[in-house]
Amino acid sequence: MAAETVASPPVPPPKQPLYEASTQFRNWRYSPEQLSAIRASLNAAAVAVIRQTFEVEEPGSSSIVSFLTPDEELLLVKLYVTKITQLCGLFRFPEEVEATAITYLKRFYLRNTVMDWHPKNVMLTALFLATKTTNNPISLETYTTHIPKTAPSDVLDLEFLVAQSLGFEFAVWHAHRALWGLCLDIQNLPDCPSDTRELYDAALKHIRTSRLTDAELIYTPAQIALAALSLAAPELAHQWSISKMPPDAPHTSRLSAETLPSIMDAIKSLITSSGHPPNIDSVREVDRRLKLCKNPEKVVGSQAYLAKKAEQEKKAEEKRNKKAVAVEQAIADGDPFGNELAERRPGLVDYDDDDDD
Amino acid sequence: MDAVEKANAERQKRWVKDQKVGEGTYAVVYRGREAATGRKVAIKKIKVGQFKDGLDMSAIREVKYLRELHHQNVIELLDVFSSKTNLNLVLEFLDSDLEMIIKDRSLVFLPADIKSWMAMTFRGLEFCHRNWILHRDLKPNNLLVASDGQLKIADFGLARDFADPGYKMTCQVITRWYRPPELLFGSRYYSSAVDIWSVGTIFAELMLRIPYLPGESDMDQLKTIFRALGTPTEEEWPGHTKLPDYVPMGLFPKTPLRDLFTAASADTLNLLSKCLIYEPRKRITAREALHHSYFTALPYPSHPSKLPKCTTQLAAHALEEVDGNVTMDSTGPGVKAKNGRLKRKLSSPSDDSKTRSIARRLDFTKHTPHS
Repeated sequence: MAAETVASPPVPPPKQPLYEASTQFRNWRYSPEQLSAIRASLNAAAVAVIRQTFEVEEPGSSSIVSFLTPDEELLLVKLYVTKITQLCGLFRFPEEVEATAITYLKRFYLRNTVMDWHPKNVMLTALFLATKTTNNPISLETYTTHIPKTAPSDVLDLEFLVAQSLGFEFAVWHAHRALWGLCLDIQNLPDCPSDTRELYDAALKHIRTSRLTDAELIYTPAQIALAALSLAAPELAHQWSISKMPPDAPHTSRLSAETLPSIMDAIKSLITSSGHPPNIDSVREVDRRLKLCKNPEKVVGSQAYLAKKAEQEKKAEEKRNKKAVAVEQAIADGDPFGNELAERRPGLVDYDDDDDD
Repeated sequence: MDAVEKANAERQKRWVKDQKVGEGTYAVVYRGREAATGRKVAIKKIKVGQFKDGLDMSAIREVKYLRELHHQNVIELLDVFSSKTNLNLVLEFLDSDLEMIIKDRSLVFLPADIKSWMAMTFRGLEFCHRNWILHRDLKPNNLLVASDGQLKIADFGLARDFADPGYKMTCQVITRWYRPPELLFGSRYYSSAVDIWSVGTIFAELMLRIPYLPGESDMDQLKTIFRALGTPTEEEWPGHTKLPDYVPMGLFPKTPLRDLFTAASADTLNLLSKCLIYEPRKRITAREALHHSYFTALPYPSHPSKLPKCTTQLAAHALEEVDGNVTMDSTGPGVKAKNGRLKRKLSSPSDDSKTRSIARRLDFTKHTPHS
């Protein structure tokens, strides 16, 4: 084939499933233990920082604060997952927007804690970002005017932070897409009902429920889809998986035949056990305590916030001064505007650079 | 400092901006390097603060797709970091693009060279399509060329996932001269075949050394296409007269490709004609193209390192990528093409805007001595 004669390394890359090349596969899969460890360490780090900030403001003041536990943080995030669903209903956003925003929210809190960033705002930003990354953009004005007590800045202020926390990895592989494929595929089975639409809708309910759990951070979209189908139509799901693993199949698929049932059971029990919205009263209690223990550096107007701002401003000032000196130096050298063609002197600040990072 | 901020600061430190190489409406491009290795990179700084809707769609598309795609013939996004309200994309540094190479009159293309560029283009595109991504803006100046001769598809600012059947997409994509007839007729349901048409027109341009179908307006574009390839019949392209923006263009006779591409081999013309089939469903796919006998026939494709190279280098590509972008509410095909024209002037001031309209009648062998 021509490809071989052209490529400088003539070896074609090894065959790899598309999913395994995705950022989701590479960067956003965890074991349940890893998830708890990450959440525990984020929580502990936040508590330490905030305690310190409190002490600076007023020594001894942190001892009376009751900080949130990792589970309480998770509970709050879960509540805002349900809010995304509500908002998507209001705006009539497609399924993909909703699923993507929920994924963004969950991923965000694997890099941040609710004590630094309240999920209410992060949720609004994650949803707005998801409309754009899934190619369903609406204007910020339309978005915010339809959400009570929300200003454009509430959404935009965090957009960068959210994008950064996601590692700018915007593409998400969704279980509901895998389910759609599955439902097309089962039509090849002899016992398949003539109308699979009903089946799809029934299984989709379980997938929506799974979004309230950690399933997508642990399992592949295809696994979650099969588990959802199995909850809706166990016999058909079983037949389908058998049909995909003929007895003479190569070793790798035999392996999955051995592990598949236990994975399916794990996902199904995850969906049935934790796939429900959190109890409003307990979330309200968590939110009340959050008001007292959130990071004062992030509360606009607080002493700690002002102190941090002042420090940032000081740094920026120093940088500007440094830049001004460099420009003066350049003027003294008789080359005030720079010359693109001239060799740049090493170490000279690039005064064409209009950013101040 | 938050963990996220800290991670960002560390990323930022990995890269050094050396020199501004260009500035566009909403991005500045720097030549830079990796601090630890000295590896050359292009840093595209997108000013985000000025958009009322936050991060803009073309930046989002570019980041979204390039984060996922890793292939020898697709530009590599090495890193993304933010500085204040700016988004910085660190891209691999590429010396030139196919447009500059085509326009450099001092270069002579052998059929084997063209075959090599085509093979690399199809390989990169096959990878995009395999990943269910439509590029939607293929043209010579979005095909960048590395110093080792490898061709890389760049500018994913208009890219999108394939839509599900029955899901509408905008037809206001692809720079006019490279835009397929179904989009010009306003089709809102289309496929990877739109990119293949673009590749076909690029293929022709590589042989002619000037744009093959340079329409002056969207209407004129259709006329230009039909003048070159004949007006499609209902049998050839069933249903095309029912497309939203269909207008009868008059009947132009089919002239054999051979009349214009006098020196091309039969394989070459066969592949070219399959890229330019009117009925999108019959147009060749990237995968089929890679298996086309053109690529296995003699002469074999040139090794990338042996391909003709520009003597002058252009550093401002990444900038052009930004300029080529379109805002989410208005995509002007006209605007884009105008941009294209402007860019051409920027990248290589040449006087061929006059000759372009008579492209079809030019004998390309004058510039391209084929064997």
